[in-house]
Amino acid sequence: MFKLLTLSSVALSAALLCACGGSSSPTATVAASTAHGTLALNPPFRIASLNAAALQAELSTSSSGAALLKITGNPSCGVDFYYVKFWTLGGAATPEVTQSSGALMVPTGAAPTCSGPRPIVLYAHGTNTDKTLNIADITNSTNSEGVLIAAMFAAQGFIVVAPNYAGYDISTLGYHPYLNAAQQSGEMIDILTAARAALPKTLSAATSDSGKLFITGYSQGGHVAMATQRALEANGAVVTGAAPASGPYAMEAFGDVLLFGDVDLGSTVFTPLLTTSYQKAYGNLYNTPSDVYSSSYANGIETLLPSDTPLETIFADNLLPQTAEFDSTTPVVSIPGNPVLSAELTALLSVPGSPGYPLPPTAQTPLFALGFGSPYLINNSYRLSYALDAAADPDGAVPTPTPGAKLAATVPVQPLRQAFYKNDLRNGGWSPNSPTLLCGGDQDPTVFFSVNTGTMASFWSPLVQAGLITVLDVSGTPAGPFAELQSGFQASQAQELAALIAGGSSPAAAGQTLVEDYHAAVAPFCMAAARAFFSEL
Amino acid sequence: MTIFSIRTLPAAVAATLLGLYCAAPAYCDDYPANSLRAGLYSVFYHVSAENLQGPYVPPGANIDAKNVETLYLAYVRSLTPNLDFELTAGYPPLQKTVGKGPATLGSVPYNGQVIATARWIAPTALIEYVFFDPGAKLRPFIGAGVNYTTFYDRDSTAAGDAASGGPTKLSLTRSIGPAGSVGLAWNLGSNWHMYGSYNISRVNTDLTADTAGVIRTTHIKFGPQTLVVSLGYSF
Repeated sequence: MFKLLTLSSVALSAALLCACGGSSSPTATVAASTAHGTLALNPPFRIASLNAAALQAELSTSSSGAALLKITGNPSCGVDFYYVKFWTLGGAATPEVTQSSGALMVPTGAAPTCSGPRPIVLYAHGTNTDKTLNIADITNSTNSEGVLIAAMFAAQGFIVVAPNYAGYDISTLGYHPYLNAAQQSGEMIDILTAARAALPKTLSAATSDSGKLFITGYSQGGHVAMATQRALEANGAVVTGAAPASGPYAMEAFGDVLLFGDVDLGSTVFTPLLTTSYQKAYGNLYNTPSDVYSSSYANGIETLLPSDTPLETIFADNLLPQTAEFDSTTPVVSIPGNPVLSAELTALLSVPGSPGYPLPPTAQTPLFALGFGSPYLINNSYRLSYALDAAADPDGAVPTPTPGAKLAATVPVQPLRQAFYKNDLRNGGWSPNSPTLLCGGDQDPTVFFSVNTGTMASFWSPLVQAGLITVLDVSGTPAGPFAELQSGFQASQAQELAALIAGGSSPAAAGQTLVEDYHAAVAPFCMAAARAFFSEL
Repeated sequence: MTIFSIRTLPAAVAATLLGLYCAAPAYCDDYPANSLRAGLYSVFYHVSAENLQGPYVPPGANIDAKNVETLYLAYVRSLTPNLDFELTAGYPPLQKTVGKGPATLGSVPYNGQVIATARWIAPTALIEYVFFDPGAKLRPFIGAGVNYTTFYDRDSTAAGDAASGGPTKLSLTRSIGPAGSVGLAWNLGSNWHMYGSYNISRVNTDLTADTAGVIRTTHIKFGPQTLVVSLGYSF
């Protein structure tokens, strides 16, 4: 009897203990495939869920948030912020397989404009040097672009999809394929595919894809957005509308004016990102970075950006010059048998505004002059090789605008200019099939409006039906459907100037601050224009 | 340790246990040496957890556990007239974990929400000293021993998934800790007894929550205190 009972109790214990390895509810499924466009984890992680009131309250706690609300309007929907991980390809000639990440922002709420079938806004962010950038992380106070698109689009009923880009966040690519039109458009399409797969499995499954697709982006993202529109249309996909904004679309023309001395604000940051990207893609920009860069900065330049280190620290540690893109000592051009052209080019390569500089001064001449100094970033020899190529085979938009503003007649020989040519969005003769808004500001010191937006508009003008392309200059004379928005931007600029002067800045210093902030200040207004434009389609 | 000693050790342990089984042969003949008890467990968890750690966790997010009642089962072996060995294994209850801290995480309700459930098995082995003669009407007892706790069927609820950011996989490490009890046995006659006891144990476990690869953790200290009312039959 005792033995039986003992066995029974042991059996009971064993039966209970055998459940030790018992089940747990599952989490996301890891995709077996690494094919580009595959959602790596399904469902994706929701970082935060805010209803409309909470989002408004959150934005209202900061002055910048409150200012943004004045442009976006109060949220009418809540927003669920998902962190999407997906597989994509890098920018090398033999593309690397890499995981990337981004945001899926889903509008929520009972209103019919917040759930059910909703349109998708595919958004491309601007240049960011922070390697840890996660645009989905709305809890990060530095994620201003994430806040902008959440408030502007998601909180007004648009599903937002936005990549962090390869080379950022979880991507182990080791560099960012900056302004590589093929890679970046491919990555945009990949996250769109992944996000569409993710949406039905999320906690916000009451919101679904209506099938309408809008594409937008700002600055670098303007270029990426336009390249994505081109790629999708080439694939036969339906693009309902696009609104690339303040982007460097006409890369060859933009590169030409830069190398001839119109140094844009931020060029010392953009240049290493560009050269590394194109060196990885084409392998011919240099044999060694010192072919391009001065000895002061060549060491480690290929892995400098994006970085975990704040940009201010990178400048302070003399790893990059703040503004001195070029040598203040002018290179001397010597074209055998052509002393006149040699002298003209030498003069054009001198510091803008300096004695002998051939062009009349403009409001931006002092800004361009800041791009010269010593130590400097780019070697004169490399600059000279570029300038000679541009002079021999000029772009159709600069320095002399020609009808149609076409690319150079032949493929450039100089490797950097050749890379610009390949990634110039005029390349291939493409023009949009879908309604397109080109927004920007013509005082932009960072991405020149006329060289980029103006060039694309001129290039497309003979190619597209009337009314398909809308160009908006937020600094222009208020007129037409966006007059209120133009007035709003100009009023905000005037208020900012007055506030700076009231805060103790001299008018000159306040004006300088306004110039420095101009590119960023245009962004919310162009996004508001994009939203209004999309809402009509 | 030599090969010889390795081989002889189990035999020595077995001999010792056999000695314990009937250390007092006369007693074994006079009183039943075995009893089974069944009753009701009322468990008060007394949770002390560190705030949740990990990405996207707001300050002060913590957890608590709801008290439960469950079936108490025990086998008791009398080793001597005043010394019992008790093995307790209650029916695994469904433990409900609730959010504690912010009222909401973003706009998702958190504080007081049942965010997870789990069943646990907590067999406890106790050596109890029982006062007075085995034939006494009332016999107080006091015991000490060891508790082993393991968790299974760990599920994040819909509210938990919403708070965590998606379907969440939970793991809780096993725990071994001290246990103690005090109680009173009431001899009802005909080998039946009524028992009432207060038990306390210490359970330490590490909780890991995996939501689409986002890991949150906390260390939880339970000081479960249980009140038991049971009926036992000796044989």
